[in-house]
Amino acid sequence: MTELILYEEAMCCSTGVCGPDPDDELVEVSAALDQLEDAFDDLEVNRANMQHNIDQFLETQRIYDRVQEDGPSILPITVVDDKIVAEGEYLSYDELTAAIEESPTPQEA
Amino acid sequence: MAQSQSTATGARDVVEPSGDDTEFVFFSGKGGVGKSTVSCATATWLADNDYETLLVTTDPAPNLSDIFGQTIGHEVTAIDGVDNLSAIEIDPDTAAEEYRQDTIEPMRELLGEEEIQTVEEQLNSPCVEEIAAFDNFVDFMDSPEYDVVVFDTAPTGHTIRLMELPSDWNAELEKGGSTCIGPAASMEDKKQDYECAIDTLQDDGRTSFAFVGKPEDSSIDEIERSASDLGELGIESQLLILNGYLPESVCDDPFFEGKRADEQAVIERAREEFDADATATYPLQPGEIAGLDLLADVGGVLYDGAEATVDVGTATDVDADGAVDFDSMADPDAVVDQLTPGDETQYLFFTGKGGVGKSTVASTAATKLAEAGHETLVVTTDPAAHLEDIFGEPVGHEPTPVGQENLDAARIDQEKALAEYREQVLDHVTEMYEDKEDTQIDVDAAIANVEEELESPCAEEMAALEKFVSYFHEDGYDVVVFDTAPTGHTLRLLELPSDWKGFMDLGSLTKGAAPAKGDQYDEVIETMKDPERSTFAFVMYPEYTPMMEAYRAAADLEDQVGIDTSLVVANYLLPEEYGDNAFFANRRAQQAQYLEEIRDRFNAPLMLAPLRRDEPIGLDELSAFGEEITGLANIAEVDVPGVTPS
Repeated sequence: MTELILYEEAMCCSTGVCGPDPDDELVEVSAALDQLEDAFDDLEVNRANMQHNIDQFLETQRIYDRVQEDGPSILPITVVDDKIVAEGEYLSYDELTAAIEESPTPQEA
Repeated sequence: MAQSQSTATGARDVVEPSGDDTEFVFFSGKGGVGKSTVSCATATWLADNDYETLLVTTDPAPNLSDIFGQTIGHEVTAIDGVDNLSAIEIDPDTAAEEYRQDTIEPMRELLGEEEIQTVEEQLNSPCVEEIAAFDNFVDFMDSPEYDVVVFDTAPTGHTIRLMELPSDWNAELEKGGSTCIGPAASMEDKKQDYECAIDTLQDDGRTSFAFVGKPEDSSIDEIERSASDLGELGIESQLLILNGYLPESVCDDPFFEGKRADEQAVIERAREEFDADATATYPLQPGEIAGLDLLADVGGVLYDGAEATVDVGTATDVDADGAVDFDSMADPDAVVDQLTPGDETQYLFFTGKGGVGKSTVASTAATKLAEAGHETLVVTTDPAAHLEDIFGEPVGHEPTPVGQENLDAARIDQEKALAEYREQVLDHVTEMYEDKEDTQIDVDAAIANVEEELESPCAEEMAALEKFVSYFHEDGYDVVVFDTAPTGHTLRLLELPSDWKGFMDLGSLTKGAAPAKGDQYDEVIETMKDPERSTFAFVMYPEYTPMMEAYRAAADLEDQVGIDTSLVVANYLLPEEYGDNAFFANRRAQQAQYLEEIRDRFNAPLMLAPLRRDEPIGLDELSAFGEEITGLANIAEVDVPGVTPS
């Protein structure tokens, strides 16, 4: 099984559809993650944002250290099977697909 | 009366504990209906009947101290002179702040001051306040040392629905947590407590829900709405208490006889229509209900079928002998100054809780301004308001004439506003994907996703806000009169623009959000804050709870948005020409006392509006009513030489 975890900034609502204008980036990433879950049978997707899931930041040493060092601007951090694959930006659907396919756990697309 | 005998017994069956487990009685109803009085009387009655009783109030401006004549506060305090009775006053603001701080504390390790501030702003939401308030209920729902716990407030359907969510959360959170509710992690710990509390709320053997209202149609309508909301969640309303009807013995002229007949008809209607196990009534008293004797009278009437004592001699310490001159407290010129537009469009906001007569006063002011020749638009953002009933003309989502020259009216249609907002968001998202070359993404699925997310309370609020802002940009009006939604909701609407602006300034949260919207909201807020262009009028009637609620709302408006209150409308003043007896002399003196307090607290010109036999309907009656309200008769005609509004 492949695990994809997205560590994100503090926000009230990660869908992007909550506010005067939709947040394009969040709308896109939400859609991409949904689609990835359908595309890969054995993929588990988790999103942790600092406001709702602060515990996950405090308990994951590596993430804790990165945020301590560089501040929250290092977020979002994308982790695929314990490997940090991106920092400071959201990956596109294609980039995420590539990262999952490259992960050591065999995957069937 | 045989009837009160039997209903009293019914009420007793509802509140009296029947088993070994602690039982709970919740009193629901809006401010100013006598909810605290009824709660205190019920708790006292239970204690007198040998039940170990705790009374919990979460009123932000509690008056238990006045009612019991002793200081109570945040600790459980034994009530003097009543065995088995303790009470506690919980400050909901403090509770909400504690909740916020508990949430933020663990983040301090990782976040800088600026980010913490952003999170703090986000947590400054009605959702968080609801959670904190519910926590108060949960805390006291495990009180085995008491036979019965009486709450002088109750969770709403909305709150309960919110608190039921934890059971769905795991699923939600895996997907990425679209809860705008708050820190899910900290709520996770309490999931079991919440579930248990909700089970107890739904168990009508252990929990009684009672509504307190006034014998007025609007009051009954509101109760019916709240009750059906709770009913959907499996919570039945068992008791309806109608408080403050005019006693027969004091109504000795056509004005008050007519008022009384209307009230009795409403009580009759409520008994027939409202699906409760029991209904009970208690009359208006010449003074405020305080002290153990009067509480015992209330309890006796509600639960033992006794006759009410209406004794002018028991009235509280107002001086009813001196003639009351309301007019001396009003300054028509100062009022006119606040209402009259200058060179730019003037925005008038009439705000206040439901039932204070806000829509009528706003419509009357709009009518008089239009008569004076100002192009006027009156808008209601309150879904419960019925401008079409007031004007006797259809009023829609877009401004339409209502038969008076220079006057248009409009109301926000929630559903239409939401549909407009949805369309706008979906168009935006569709357009965004059109520009993308990332062909692997399933655009239809992505859009369907967004569509689903738009089924949220957030979206409804944003939609209403969008529409609200759009009325600011209606061209061609000298004056736009807003008959705003009930205070709490209004505040949220008004606050939101600056909140969003705050987020945008801090930058991190709304990456990529179009700055155009932010600027637009900014402009609206700036306009509202400019006393030359905007006038905020708080409508209330001169009694303790309505005054305190308005005062708190005004203080919030000032603290959070930086808007000062510039007018106070004191409505339903007892007319001098009717009610010529000691009972009404007492009531009038009491009103005068609160008028003075209102004047001191708000430090804004008073607009005085009399109690009417019937609410004005149609332009003629509105116009006539306007002649009786401070300032409205004195608005200078446009284009009259020598009279220039300054």
